[in-house]
Amino acid sequence: MRRTGGIFGGRRNLIFSGLMLVLLFIFLLDLFVVDRIFEPFTYFYLFFAPLIIFYGVYPLYANRRLTRYYWDRTKRHRLAVIGLGFIIFLVAVAILGPFLTQDPTQVDFKNKNLPPVGFSSEQSIFDRNTGQLITTETQGTWRHPFGTDDKGRDLLAMLVSGTRISLQIGLMATLIAIFIGLIIGVVSAYLGGWVDNALMRFTDIMMTFPFFLLLVLIVFLYGSSLWFIILVIGLTGWTGTARLVRSETLSLRTRDFIMASKSLGASDRRIVFRHLIPNVMSLVIVIATLSIPGVILAEAALSFIGLGDPTVTSWGLVLHAGQRSLDTAWWIAVEPGIMLFLTVLAFNFLGDGIRDAFDPRSQI
Amino acid sequence: MNNTILQVSELKTYFFTRIGVVKAVDGVSFGLRKGECLCLVGESGCGKTATALSILRLVDSPPGRIVGGEIQYHAEDLLRSPVSRLRRIRGNRIAMIFQDPQSSLNPVFTVGDQIMEPIRLHMKLGRRQARDRALHLMEQVGIPQAKERMKYYPHQFSGGMKQRVMIAAALSCDPEILIADEPTTALDTTIKAQILDIFRDLKQKKDMSILFITHDLGTVAGIADRIIVMYGGRIAEAGSVLDIFDQPKHPYTRGLLNCLPAISERREKLSPIPGVIPSLIDPPEGCIFYPRCQQRMPVCQQKRPEEFVISGKHIAACYLYA
Repeated sequence: MRRTGGIFGGRRNLIFSGLMLVLLFIFLLDLFVVDRIFEPFTYFYLFFAPLIIFYGVYPLYANRRLTRYYWDRTKRHRLAVIGLGFIIFLVAVAILGPFLTQDPTQVDFKNKNLPPVGFSSEQSIFDRNTGQLITTETQGTWRHPFGTDDKGRDLLAMLVSGTRISLQIGLMATLIAIFIGLIIGVVSAYLGGWVDNALMRFTDIMMTFPFFLLLVLIVFLYGSSLWFIILVIGLTGWTGTARLVRSETLSLRTRDFIMASKSLGASDRRIVFRHLIPNVMSLVIVIATLSIPGVILAEAALSFIGLGDPTVTSWGLVLHAGQRSLDTAWWIAVEPGIMLFLTVLAFNFLGDGIRDAFDPRSQI
Repeated sequence: MNNTILQVSELKTYFFTRIGVVKAVDGVSFGLRKGECLCLVGESGCGKTATALSILRLVDSPPGRIVGGEIQYHAEDLLRSPVSRLRRIRGNRIAMIFQDPQSSLNPVFTVGDQIMEPIRLHMKLGRRQARDRALHLMEQVGIPQAKERMKYYPHQFSGGMKQRVMIAAALSCDPEILIADEPTTALDTTIKAQILDIFRDLKQKKDMSILFITHDLGTVAGIADRIIVMYGGRIAEAGSVLDIFDQPKHPYTRGLLNCLPAISERREKLSPIPGVIPSLIDPPEGCIFYPRCQQRMPVCQQKRPEEFVISGKHIAACYLYA
């Protein structure tokens, strides 16, 4: 609709809707007829990947001049570029890593508590011959470059698996939260009146709602699962977004182009989808980037206190396992800690860079 | 009624604010004929824009509400039409142009897209035809290299060019009536003259009816067929251009004309109208112009003056002509 020509011949919405219908059909088939065509995660990707390609990547490709402009502005932030580089690296690790490393759940008691390469540590080992505890010096080996934990699992494999889990949770929970926050914020500001009042009071209630208790309750009732964690974080984390989007929309709403478009016969739906949402998207992208680290940390915290999904190896779970042997095997807790630290930092730097690039008021 | 296509009768638009009811438009009646340019003139806050927005029912609600009157467009009353019907009229049969071209365009879409928007909303045209039409419109309103410029974003245009884009978008469905709300106020003098030329062209070549709103009598002189002078939400005086400029009757109209610099006669200084517009929340009893009027009489304070006919179509709401 917005560009004639291009790869999609201007029929982007139509093609996208078509793809989504096919996906819905497969999903229904999966639900009622055949069992498990795809994993739940796969459905998530099959939904969001086209969404991001059609409405994120394609416009950037189609408007190369604008893309260049934003890139030039982001580039001025050295740290943002480094952050972006690190995130790209993490994504590559998350996608390819699990195929290259060994199984992160495979235990090997002969090689437990191995330090990382280049480090050594003293370990007390029960000697069968003498029946006594003897202290030996163990060296890190290249077979386990990041060392092993107290059950002999390879830490590199566990961290790689954790990368995948963390990014998945960060991305999905954020997308869910942003989606809800965007719709509630725009609708609330655009309709105003009692709708605005009702939605904003609901937001206030959600803000004060202790989502942690909700999670404890769910874990108690149903057992912990990655999906519950994602859904709970996503369904409770949209409040800040809703408020920011609402305030931005309130100021947009009084701009003349909304009135002008109404005077040309546009419907409310058209104004919301074509005029308001595209104008708050830059804000939303910044919020999304800056809220991913929060979600990742939240999941790590949950796993750390033992409320995480015990069936997947996440960074929080490794941290949790490592805290018991901090005095004998420090690396088990330190390594996922460093990963968390770097990841959160990278997203924050990138978010700052994007914010400055998108904000026309900041002439850096 | 010969060829009146839009008849506004006793229109009342009030704004219900926290400090009281603002009677922005309080009983305004006028007709717009085919192919004529009718100018609404008055100071800021006299209800010109509220009148224009009321015609398309675009008054922000809340706080605004059209509390009374009728707006007859052909055989239907726009104030009682369903919103869906109204949407088919907006931009299609009656189009509107706003004051500030800087903010009237959506910054995230190309100007071509924005001209095509009403075409695709109202006319059953394919993408390519819509684009050709948009191209043609851009050339018509004097945008050079239209083909290239279609792909530009609003920030790449100057103020005058943006206003041309807005006009092109408003004209895209060949509307019968064009409402222009101070379309030249934000532009400099040379651009203003060019934009006015476009309007004059539209009137003559397409026989379009134009409702032109401005606070600048100088702009009006060159384009208007008839003039309505508004004050405090009511009509002060109405008549043809010659009536208003040569024989202004209402003291307010005279005051306005005295504010204009004239090239022909040498005036030592311009004489502004003393005082300010009274608050429309609690307007004075009787004539609203009374506190500022040079020729006030006791009767003016008691009752609101009705519109007295001076000659033919020339009317003035002033007891001087009772």
